[in-house]
Amino acid sequence: MNMSAVPSVPQDDREADPEAALLARYAAGDGAAARALTVALTPRLYGHALRVLGEGAEAEDVTQEALLRLWRIAPDWRQGEAKVTTWLYRVVANLCTDRLRKRRETGLDGTAEEADPAPDAEARLQQAARHDALQGALARLPDRQRQAVVLRHIDGLANPEIAAILDTGIEAVESLIARGKRGLAQALDGQKAALGFEDDG
Amino acid sequence: MTDNTQKTQDALEALFQDARAAPPPVPHALMTRVLADAQQMQPRATPPARRGLWAVLADIGGLPALGGMITAGCVGFWLGVAPPQGMPDLATQVIGFESDTEDALGGVGLSGFGWDITEDLNDG
Repeated sequence: MNMSAVPSVPQDDREADPEAALLARYAAGDGAAARALTVALTPRLYGHALRVLGEGAEAEDVTQEALLRLWRIAPDWRQGEAKVTTWLYRVVANLCTDRLRKRRETGLDGTAEEADPAPDAEARLQQAARHDALQGALARLPDRQRQAVVLRHIDGLANPEIAAILDTGIEAVESLIARGKRGLAQALDGQKAALGFEDDG
Repeated sequence: MTDNTQKTQDALEALFQDARAAPPPVPHALMTRVLADAQQMQPRATPPARRGLWAVLADIGGLPALGGMITAGCVGFWLGVAPPQGMPDLATQVIGFESDTEDALGGVGLSGFGWDITEDLNDG
């Protein structure tokens, strides 16, 4: 997959893309635009990569690499063809997929087990326990389901945009999300009381 | 069972809300590295190019205009040096009076640098 190419995402009614305007200013040499883009985009991409990869150092590398590609393509960016954030999420998704695949190939895919929240749940604050519980359950999902669920329910993107990011159809996205949520529910079932929700019964 | 499923779904939605409300803090070092990349990769702002003589000339019509200006200047200069007959003495009209210096000097011709005055005095 060519991650440098600008995806052909139809933009409904030319929805606002403030990052595209900032990117144009960045390409024109505006130093303030470089700072604004960094502040606006880095937390979103890092948060997504961290949810998908479950490991901070790798999430940092992916975030930096994705933004490096954005800086590189900025002078050639064609406004109106794709949202900057959609393009970036797509780059991040592909970089995460590559890293997850490499983990499996090298036998280092231990993130899911390490993220198991059960042993620490009682010792941590409830908020941290919930965070760990969600992260642990996410880590047990297949890669594509995890990416789709994070994009939809944590990053708050719409299904058509997720379809463009994951390079698939909207129905496939709906299926990925539905299966992913079922998997999360199964992983969390039985932990509700420990996480401060109502009794399991 | 259905009730339990609904409770699990509610718990899951609550976890999503918590995750959205409290995104993971971004390491300061990452922000620093990303900003350094951005600044290093950023194209330099190109200052507006200095407008040369040709650019100014192009604004007023280019080479044809320059040719017209030179021609008009030459014609004007020549009309000043050798005005055609019947043309009023422009210098007189501009200054507004004719010089009577020669009369005041008693008819002694006043010409270039007063050499003729010097010659008259020597002769006398």
